[in-house]
Amino acid sequence: MYDLIIIGGGPAGMTAGIYACRQGLKTLIITKGFGGQMAQKSVEIENYPGFEKISGFDLISRFENHLRRHEVDIEIDSVIELKKNNNGFLVLTKSNKEFKSKTAVIASGGDPKSTGASGEKEFVGRGVSYCPVCDGPLFSNKDVAVVGGGDAGFESALFLSNYVRKIYILEYDSKIKASPANQALVKNIKNTEIITNASLKEIKGKVLVESIVYNDLKHNKEKSLDVSGVFIEIGYEPATSFILDPSLADFNKKKEIKVNLDNMRTKTPGLYAIGDVVSGKCKQIVVAAADGARAALDISHYLKNE
Amino acid sequence: MVKVYSTPTCVYCATLKQYLKEHDIAFEDVDASKDEAVFEEMVRKSGQMSVPVIEINGEIVVGFDKEKINELLNIKEQQ
Repeated sequence: MYDLIIIGGGPAGMTAGIYACRQGLKTLIITKGFGGQMAQKSVEIENYPGFEKISGFDLISRFENHLRRHEVDIEIDSVIELKKNNNGFLVLTKSNKEFKSKTAVIASGGDPKSTGASGEKEFVGRGVSYCPVCDGPLFSNKDVAVVGGGDAGFESALFLSNYVRKIYILEYDSKIKASPANQALVKNIKNTEIITNASLKEIKGKVLVESIVYNDLKHNKEKSLDVSGVFIEIGYEPATSFILDPSLADFNKKKEIKVNLDNMRTKTPGLYAIGDVVSGKCKQIVVAAADGARAALDISHYLKNE
Repeated sequence: MVKVYSTPTCVYCATLKQYLKEHDIAFEDVDASKDEAVFEEMVRKSGQMSVPVIEINGEIVVGFDKEKINELLNIKEQQ
């Protein structure tokens, strides 16, 4: 029986782990991998105090090394169900393992949103990617499309420009949402074309992606582009599929978990939620880390008073 | 023979390699983005343009599919 199980190994979960261990709590982290969305950060991180510029990869390594210095159990796995029972919580994983704990922390972050375009699911891993920083280097000298004209899309384009031949950025809206700074940076890249009013309709190919079809909403016309890669960057949705019992927590309209921001408690005693899965507006690494600290310190207090 | 196709910027590849090291599995680590021939080999064998891809005695596993990797490498984890 663990004092706490942390579901997720992003900045929130890793910080909660460090703090919990320092409080002497018997802690297990279950995660598919470390880093969360930091692992998919296409450009260097410039707003984590103490590091003027650091890649997501390097910052994750530092978090992970720091965490592993403590007496923490780590299970690389996906959680399929979180249950409440009389003594606490039961966590079931994809590898058919079962773990018990007195308290649980949901730090599962977000899953990339899909466009719903025909062919998107079929071509995942065969040209469609949600992680430019993982797969981008494989597309050297190829033409690719980035779907989404926000900061994530523009930052992906900046990263991909180190490898690919041509980048099309498709934005559904008539205006680009990326920050002026990112727009200026992308403007300086050769062979990048920004297409607004573009609604992705279909991703086509035989074995691998060969082209995309989009609706030009301004001219009400279907157009196509020959590309080998399609990087989807239209945001994230809360990763809460393992919460099969919706009465465990309250959710907002975006399906983010509502918590008391003073201590990260959900409405279920002993159940906490932290990081990007929570309803806070500020989705930042430093905020996620702070959430982890708040939750772990409160859990220590909660367990003493139990 | 165990071979991991990865890219230098892929965190999930790093997690997979760390897992293999923890279980004392020797493996060849190849960067699929550096060498066109290695890239072609990975795509031909796996049908994938995505990393990590792991080859275990001729069998291909796409992504960090722990159950399948454990089965093929006979890794027994403690419950």
